[in-house]
Amino acid sequence: MLACIVPAMLTIGIPFANRLEPRVFGLPFLLAWIILGMILTPVCLSLIYRLEGRANT
Amino acid sequence: MSPAVVALSIVGLVVGGTIAFALYSVRRVPMDPHQYIVAGRSFGAFFLWLLLAGEVYTAFTFLGAAGWAYSYGAAAFYILSYGTIGYIIGYFLLPGISDVGHARGLLTSGDYFAERFGSRTLGVVVGALQFFFLIPYVTLQLTGLQILLTIAGYNAYDARVGVAIGFLLMALFVFSAGLRGTAWASVVKDGLVLAAVIFAGVAIPLKFFGSYGAMFDQVNRAHPTWLTLVATPTNHSVIWFITTVALTAIGFFAGPQNMAAILSARDGNVLRKNAIWMPVYQIVLLLVFFAGFSALLIVPGMKPGAADQSFVLVVQHYYPAWVVGFIAAAGSLAALVPASGLLLGGASNLVKNVLGDGFGLATGDRARTLATRVAVLSLAVLALGLWLIYSKTLVDLLLFYYNGITQLMPGLIFGLVWRRVSARAIGAGIAGGLLTVLTIFYEHANPTPWGINIGLLALVVNVIIVVTITLIWPRKDAAVEVPG
Repeated sequence: MLACIVPAMLTIGIPFANRLEPRVFGLPFLLAWIILGMILTPVCLSLIYRLEGRANT
Repeated sequence: MSPAVVALSIVGLVVGGTIAFALYSVRRVPMDPHQYIVAGRSFGAFFLWLLLAGEVYTAFTFLGAAGWAYSYGAAAFYILSYGTIGYIIGYFLLPGISDVGHARGLLTSGDYFAERFGSRTLGVVVGALQFFFLIPYVTLQLTGLQILLTIAGYNAYDARVGVAIGFLLMALFVFSAGLRGTAWASVVKDGLVLAAVIFAGVAIPLKFFGSYGAMFDQVNRAHPTWLTLVATPTNHSVIWFITTVALTAIGFFAGPQNMAAILSARDGNVLRKNAIWMPVYQIVLLLVFFAGFSALLIVPGMKPGAADQSFVLVVQHYYPAWVVGFIAAAGSLAALVPASGLLLGGASNLVKNVLGDGFGLATGDRARTLATRVAVLSLAVLALGLWLIYSKTLVDLLLFYYNGITQLMPGLIFGLVWRRVSARAIGAGIAGGLLTVLTIFYEHANPTPWGINIGLLALVVNVIIVVTITLIWPRKDAAVEVPG
């Protein structure tokens, strides 16, 4: 589940994010959307890492 | 001194110094095949991070990404997206592959196929394909190097000679240093590239436009379709974006150079930690886009192929020669260091799987190290040849590589999760996928029908073939255990 959020954002989410406004810190919305996906990835993956570690021990 | 002399001497000193540093670092390491190709499977998280970062952030990152932002605008953002998804896929996939590699002493991706599906023939085919598809990827690095040397020479010299010399030096470096040397060279490379990119992506936009917001406002005014995905005859649609991201994300770890890095990891957790933190490194790409957009406004009107040099040209126009020298040096390392990883990955596949398993040649440890070295040089020469006769934009070369190499992914993935898949099914799938790519490539003047990425179309054909054959003729001797 967690792992699917970002890939979904960056594929099927693209048609919805494909616009200029609203600007985020001066960046076009599309670019800001992709950056958000990029920042969420380490967060999601390290959560998964923790959860897996608990399951294994 | 003329600016060309200053800039070119800096490039020469930095590249030479890096090679010397890497050779010095590995001077006591004995060179049997396991050391040479997968560095004794000893890399911890930090070294592996260096190596993976080194392979992923290449001359393409440095120039191609900026060139695409310049020529096509938002379509270039696909590069940010696919890397991010690629790491997520890698998080789940790589530890499994690495476990199989440790348990069975694998060296190459050809080994993986041969071992998992119990077919030496499949290993030979995969080894040969890996070698073949790497050629355009190496060519891409050479094209990048040519651009940088031309600019550092202020167009006063024929850069082709410089490229040939630089590249043969690098091939000799791989010849002697192996994978461990490549990782050490990455240390220097990444530091310099980071500095160069921060300069290009922060200093240039701020100097010319004051802020990123102001820069994007100006881009939007001059090129209203640049900041979102708009399908026009000259540009790329949303469907193109999604399908290309899907293809390249799936193929992200399919190359032989990635396999070498995966197998050099100490254990699966090292790979997981890397997949978690690698996306952070993508910020670098973002800065490269900023540099590309700045160049679009500062030196407008360049054609797609020429746009690959856009931001370096800005540096050449507005900054002193020593800055040009350092930027070009960083870029040259970004071309040469990954190229050495590519050479090593491609060559080890050819020697181990095609020559060794296929024809029974060079099977001893000593002979194999020697043959791998010879293959490194041959691959280098082939790529040089392709580079001399065929020129495309950097992104086109990269997509060509992905179209082919991704067809190996069903084998890698099904190999881990589905016991009944046979060598025949995987082989037929690869053949079907490659035929699809070739057919569409030659039948259509415009190779992307409806803007769908042809490699992804081929991948779908590939998977359908594998699944159909497996359901009809499942593998009976499922003796090979599926690792957990």
